[in-house]
Amino acid sequence: MHLIWLELRNYRNYGHLDLEPGPRLNLFLGANGQGKTNLLESVAMLALSSSPRARRDAELVGPLAPEARIAAVVESGSRRAEIRISIVIDGERARRRIEVDGRPRRAVDLPGLFRVALFWPDDLNLVKSGPEHRRRLLNQMLVQVEAGYARALARYARVLEQRNSLLKQVWSGDQPPSALEVWDLELAKLGGEIAGARGRAVAALREGAAAAHGVISGGEVLELEYQGPPADLLSAVENSRREDLRRGSTSVGPHRDDILMRLGGRDARGFASQGQQRTAVVSVKLAEAELVASMTGERPVLLLDDVLSELDGDRRRALLESLGEPGQVVITSVEAEPFPAAVIGSSVVRCIEAGRVQACG
Amino acid sequence: MDQLPPSLEQLIQELSRLPSIGPKTAQRLAFHILRSDRTRTDALAQAIVEIKTRIGYCERCFNIAEGPLCGICASGRRDPGLVCVVESALDVLAIERTAEYQGLYHVLHGVISPIDGVGPEDIHVPALLERVGGGGIAEVIIATDADIEGEATAVYLSRVLAPIGVRVTRPAHGLPVGGDLEYADELTLARAMSGRRAF
Ligand SMILES: Nc1ncnc2c1ncn2[C@@H]1O[C@H](COP(=O)(O)OP(=O)(O)O)[C@@H](O)[C@H]1O
Ligand SMILES: [Mg+2]
Ligand SMILES: [Zn+2]
Repeated sequence: MHLIWLELRNYRNYGHLDLEPGPRLNLFLGANGQGKTNLLESVAMLALSSSPRARRDAELVGPLAPEARIAAVVESGSRRAEIRISIVIDGERARRRIEVDGRPRRAVDLPGLFRVALFWPDDLNLVKSGPEHRRRLLNQMLVQVEAGYARALARYARVLEQRNSLLKQVWSGDQPPSALEVWDLELAKLGGEIAGARGRAVAALREGAAAAHGVISGGEVLELEYQGPPADLLSAVENSRREDLRRGSTSVGPHRDDILMRLGGRDARGFASQGQQRTAVVSVKLAEAELVASMTGERPVLLLDDVLSELDGDRRRALLESLGEPGQVVITSVEAEPFPAAVIGSSVVRCIEAGRVQACG
Repeated sequence: MDQLPPSLEQLIQELSRLPSIGPKTAQRLAFHILRSDRTRTDALAQAIVEIKTRIGYCERCFNIAEGPLCGICASGRRDPGLVCVVESALDVLAIERTAEYQGLYHVLHGVISPIDGVGPEDIHVPALLERVGGGGIAEVIIATDADIEGEATAVYLSRVLAPIGVRVTRPAHGLPVGGDLEYADELTLARAMSGRRAF
């Protein structure tokens, strides 16, 4: 999996960027606020079709025009594809248009064409932050490797919205309780698909993550376990109706999932130390890239946003070692300091300043 | 340009209420109309007034009609034992284009969508139940869109139609998943209609 060419126009603080990354290690250096994360975000959009950090698409549009554009040539196996994403502001809304090789594509049908494994500073708190972060980790991976997952996720979100709205109408007597039946069925069907995919993903990550964690920590045991909805989701949804009506929202389903992370047999979510947490995060991330590679036969493009400086000792060493694996990697950092000379020597190094990428020095 | 004449402002407002027309497009259209020939704009205004006075809905199937019954219900050559339920009159057009289907229709004019405050009573579901309950119908094909609301409406209909004892089917594979029936190409649609399966 390779990013061959990237062009940004009026994307956040990039007026115009025209970039041909190297096939292996690419290192982008720059002070804070210069556009390092923006660059990786745009590459992630090619894989996920939406930004992993923007709350609204309109945020992505720069000051030069009411439109932002990302264009790229990506290569998967020996097949090349040209992806174009355009975000156009029209009144209050922003519209996203996606084209692959000149043909329109729905946002839910883009993921899978170009695959990345993201590692962002946000991820460093993965163990102790809210469950939505751990669900996001699974979602970002699964949309890229499981056909139909992105679509199921979008449809599930819509079912939840509809059901929650209906719960309030039933509670106030505007609709009969029987109106909930069809939404219960859809929720259970899609929820079951999502939970199935997540359960398989966690099971597949378990071994790799445990192995990496064991090595980095010198023998500590990391266990991952998917905490999904009950196997008979439909009955569970039906049984929670009374409670749901009172709350005006849906209480069972994969929107409540989590990944249980145990260290030495204890639930780490509550009280992992900073070091333990980071070791677990690096291990899970390494396992993720490995899993995507083995599921698809191709290493995803590794995107590391300013995380190396946050790590030290064996954790940093483990991550650096994984950079020796074949495949394209894009790394950003404020300074070159955390990188050994060997890494710098084999990298294409560029500097980012105020939305411009140039040779350093 | 904040101070447009009120009548122009009004036209822009009305145009921007139309589907898939944003404020920018509405402005462009309004200025285009302003610059157009008088005969053209009169013809447009006239056409809009005409469809609202001359065209109504079929008493039986709620398709668009210029009279009490639509052309399809009025025709003697259609199979009255077969009824295809669709979301809108545009879907009737799409299916008619395939020239495969020989039955009648029932146009719901919407789908069940709690977010929009639309329940079964707000689309023509009661009329459908009455129609099917009246007898003479062997099969009801539910051809709502494959998006969530279309799917939920189809499941709902299959459940309320079941006690009547009529055969209920759904067009098979080939419909663009999550997509609008209206945009399906003719061949795909023809295949989906002939390959329908029981609920
Ligand atoms: N829509 C936008 N238009 C213009 N500039 C933007 C937009 N969104 C973000 N920026 C700018 O991008 C910069 C942040 O870039 P970022 O990639 O997060 O920096 P870093 O190099 O620290 O990762 C800030 O200067 C911010 O003002
Ligand atoms: Mg940053
Ligand atoms: Zn009719």
